[in-house]
Amino acid sequence: MKAFGYVSAKDLEHAITLLGEHGARAKILAGGTDLLVELKHAVHNPEVIVDVSRLHELKTIAVADDGLHIGALVTHSDIMNSPVIRDMFPALVAAAHSIGAMQTRNLGTLGGNLVTCVPSMDSGPALIALDASVTVANAEGRRRMPLAELFVGPRKTSLKPGDLLVDIVIPKENLGKPAAFEKFGLRKGQALALVNVGASFWVGDNSVFVAPRIALGAVAPTVIRAPKAEAFLDGCKISAEVMAEAGRIAAMEAKPISDFRASADYRRDLVAVLVKRALANAQARATAKEKELVA
Amino acid sequence: MTDVTMIVNGQVRGASVPPETTLLQLLRDNFNLTGAKLGCDVGDCGACTVIVDGQAVNSCLMLAGQAEGRQILTIEGLASRERLHPIQTAFENSGALQCGFCGPGVLLSAKALLDENLNPSTQEIRDALSGNLCRCTGYTKMIEAVQDAARLLREESRTQLTHARTEATAP
Repeated sequence: MKAFGYVSAKDLEHAITLLGEHGARAKILAGGTDLLVELKHAVHNPEVIVDVSRLHELKTIAVADDGLHIGALVTHSDIMNSPVIRDMFPALVAAAHSIGAMQTRNLGTLGGNLVTCVPSMDSGPALIALDASVTVANAEGRRRMPLAELFVGPRKTSLKPGDLLVDIVIPKENLGKPAAFEKFGLRKGQALALVNVGASFWVGDNSVFVAPRIALGAVAPTVIRAPKAEAFLDGCKISAEVMAEAGRIAAMEAKPISDFRASADYRRDLVAVLVKRALANAQARATAKEKELVA
Repeated sequence: MTDVTMIVNGQVRGASVPPETTLLQLLRDNFNLTGAKLGCDVGDCGACTVIVDGQAVNSCLMLAGQAEGRQILTIEGLASRERLHPIQTAFENSGALQCGFCGPGVLLSAKALLDENLNPSTQEIRDALSGNLCRCTGYTKMIEAVQDAARLLREESRTQLTHARTEATAP
């Protein structure tokens, strides 16, 4: 790695001050699983590294009035081990578990995964399917925006120098919403997604889809929604046929590329299969929750 | 330069290193602990795995400065002066290593797993070792060795419990 200055932020206020001071000359170090690789490959050549990995205030998982707050420095292992997330959002646990291996999940953070903004990120689809938003802090104050607005393009976010991602918020109306995450890679361990999918919906009266959401990863410059498939499902009676049709519609909405991992056609076919599976999986969760409530 | 102090294998160690030094470089070049290996240097192979505050991590993906004030366990700290750690005994009995380059990382991943779960399923063992690439063994004997180590550790904790009970009830 090329030489750089290093400063460890003591708390959030200190971090914001440091980032304000150093602006575009600084890179933020959280879990380091992506940043250190990029520094070794000289993708970035920052003058200073602002290490935020000790900010305890960004490591909490808590339900507040407006929803579930997950600190940006919560690691993928923390998500897998969190009783609150395991109970409310098994889809987020599945997404976290599918990232890297134990060693990288112990280091890598949710916020870090989102801001790397690679199209195949595994944290994005389930969160987008749950209408998550993010809180960003800088010297001027804080702002909240939909997670989708963080994503601009491959490895490009809407964050400006001096900005720090603080937390990820799932709105309170979606707490416990049945959701699922599906991923297909070339191996079971340490594989990037060829396609990953997040889906969620409420089961309405007479077993119809209410507020269906479908998010697709690795098939467009950023994680995208599949609005036509969602509109098709909305108000439809829940059935395996309808889920399969939603998959076919979503496949047409995907804009995958061909690369050494898979062809665009193969990825499009995977979208159809994974959307169907994710919807079925979310339905199974809804049924299980219902049984829990009855018992 | 960044001044760092940490506890490595139970001993306080300190050094002054350039900020871009990784924990792996610090361990190998400054502390002469060469058990953790430099393999891919990008967090894929797991040869550099060490345990930091109870969690297995890739030491090539941590800056030395991030390890400030933390507890580090490397393969050199696994055995005591008197005896091998049960995981080492199990790997020896099973003949689970061939060239051995991945060994320190594999054993520490196994330790991190067994510290949390003394009764892991085969799938849980595979999952815990999926960040450690081994090009010799095909993993079969490693998985057997981890199962065997789990058995040894369960027996050990049972014996300790019995001892504690006997002592507690002794007149």
